[in-house]
Amino acid sequence: MSSENDDAWPIVHVPGRPPVPPEQQLTVNVVAAQIEQPKLTNTIIRRLSQIAPLEDLHHVKRVKKNCLEGGKIQLSVILCLAPENGDFDGIPCDVKDVIGSYQLSPFVAKVCKYAALSKEEWVEQCKLWPTSYHQPTYNISGITGFSEEDSQSIVSFMKYALELSKSHGNVVVNAAAIVDPLSNQVIAKACDEVCSWQTPKTEVGAECSSSTKSSPEMTGCIEHESCLQRCSSGGPQQVETSISCLHPRWWVDEQTHRISSFWHPLRHAAIVAIESSAARDRRLFPDVRYRDEATREECILSPAKSQAKRQKTDGTDVDNDDKNYASHGNGDLSSKPYLCTGNDIYLVWEPCTMCAMALVHQRVRRVFYAFPNPSAGALGSIHRLQGEKSLNHHYAVFRVLVPQDILNKAKTSITGS
Amino acid sequence: METDNIASGERFSLEVLGFMQLAIDQAKLALDNLEVPVGCVIVEDGNVIAAGRNRTNETRNATRHAEMEALDVLLVQWQRTGLTAAEVAEKFSACSLYVTCEPCIMCAAALSIIGIKAVYYGCANDKFGGCGSILSLHSSSSEACISNGNSGSKSFKCCGGIMASEAISLLRDFYERGNPNGINGDQPF
Ligand SMILES: [Zn+2]
Ligand SMILES: [Zn+2]
Repeated sequence: MSSENDDAWPIVHVPGRPPVPPEQQLTVNVVAAQIEQPKLTNTIIRRLSQIAPLEDLHHVKRVKKNCLEGGKIQLSVILCLAPENGDFDGIPCDVKDVIGSYQLSPFVAKVCKYAALSKEEWVEQCKLWPTSYHQPTYNISGITGFSEEDSQSIVSFMKYALELSKSHGNVVVNAAAIVDPLSNQVIAKACDEVCSWQTPKTEVGAECSSSTKSSPEMTGCIEHESCLQRCSSGGPQQVETSISCLHPRWWVDEQTHRISSFWHPLRHAAIVAIESSAARDRRLFPDVRYRDEATREECILSPAKSQAKRQKTDGTDVDNDDKNYASHGNGDLSSKPYLCTGNDIYLVWEPCTMCAMALVHQRVRRVFYAFPNPSAGALGSIHRLQGEKSLNHHYAVFRVLVPQDILNKAKTSITGS
Repeated sequence: METDNIASGERFSLEVLGFMQLAIDQAKLALDNLEVPVGCVIVEDGNVIAAGRNRTNETRNATRHAEMEALDVLLVQWQRTGLTAAEVAEKFSACSLYVTCEPCIMCAAALSIIGIKAVYYGCANDKFGGCGSILSLHSSSSEACISNGNSGSKSFKCCGGIMASEAISLLRDFYERGNPNGINGDQPF
């Protein structure tokens, strides 16, 4: 974005609902009334919050204050949501009682339906009816911008994920890396295992630990972006369809399965990474109650899986930190992690609905992805799970944009000009 | 709750109730193992061919819901007998799932990726439900990008409210006892 810095990888917050111009925010109608005797305000509000709480409008202030000429203050209060047909007969009886006993004159007012995402939105909202504007209530840094150091670390982990997705040779797959931002370490990594349920042939190089790493080769993202461009222009080719989250039903047509290797339509990169982080969790913080049973079940149900796991454990790069953790964590149950609380995940492509919900279940803190998923993405493209209020956990979502000059170069080299 | 179970004996066939009872047995098994009590069975041609129950506490993997467990059993089994992907897809498209609680958004998406024929569930899942409560993934097939129609997801028939009160009372039992590891799985309340 900034022309002076060609190496910039902008990190953009993907909010829980589509951004709209501040003056085009959705509104809902409420019934309000002026309070003629300011002394009664507290009594009225207390009564109303009991009989007509504004459940989905916590960001809306109950009382509006207008300064009239001569310094006089006029107060209005929201009585309740407006009845659907707009007919005041539909006002709840309890509220009618309040209207009657304080001789209020109800009128319809508009308030903004959703809490403001930005200061600009908030300023516009307050022109209708005052709302409160909070920085996001959950403790997730980055929504209001990243420090230089954080940005560097995020970009280097995204580059790590891009490298990972190249490790399948000619087949382009999605890749996921779960990161503990406190130690700046990758605690689990995975690629799609939809067509071959085994560990990737080429291992990614040295453990990525943030800012010190030099910029890796960019051919990976060039391939990704060019295949993405071809996909959106409608040319179906094997290389694009192999990205599980983009084409979840592709497994049905896949012809290249060898008898010897297991395949699994649901082993998308994020799902495999979660499995791997859970396995690490069990290894570092064993629970005697389950140990024997778990091992037995694993052998009976999926020999391929336990085999893959053994290979992974033999590999050296993911779990270098395990010994340190184990020595700290031994017998100290208070340090036992709860799922992926506090962890971030880096994905090359925006996850599909299954993967996005899996990340909610596993309590991931932040999701970073490089490329959107226009056919099945659940974090901005088709759905926005990060904005589903009913869910019991919410992560923050960011897109890390691959620099435009790199993409331009990719285009030029593809067309051969 | 979206549906009530008062007249279940009249509304649902004995066959449906019988399979749901087996799913409830799986949920009880989960409860005995200190897991959120949700269970399921997969039925093909009137026969139960797989069963599953929640394993989120044991595995510390909050995605190990009953549905995922049961699907994994079949995927391994069918591949061992040498079925191709197309044959496996064909088989799934003739299978029904009976599960004690409405599939969550993740499982509903997984079931549409797998291409299951139908889902019968017990209680609704007001927090995470992917078959009508929060999202309606059973009815929203998408076929973007590729013309052969196998790129997106497949819709499936869905029917809820079967023996819902039994499913709910198991979940109540669990939360009254206290969740040992606190990994909530499909907690619908
Ligand atoms: Zn996915
Ligand atoms: Zn589920």
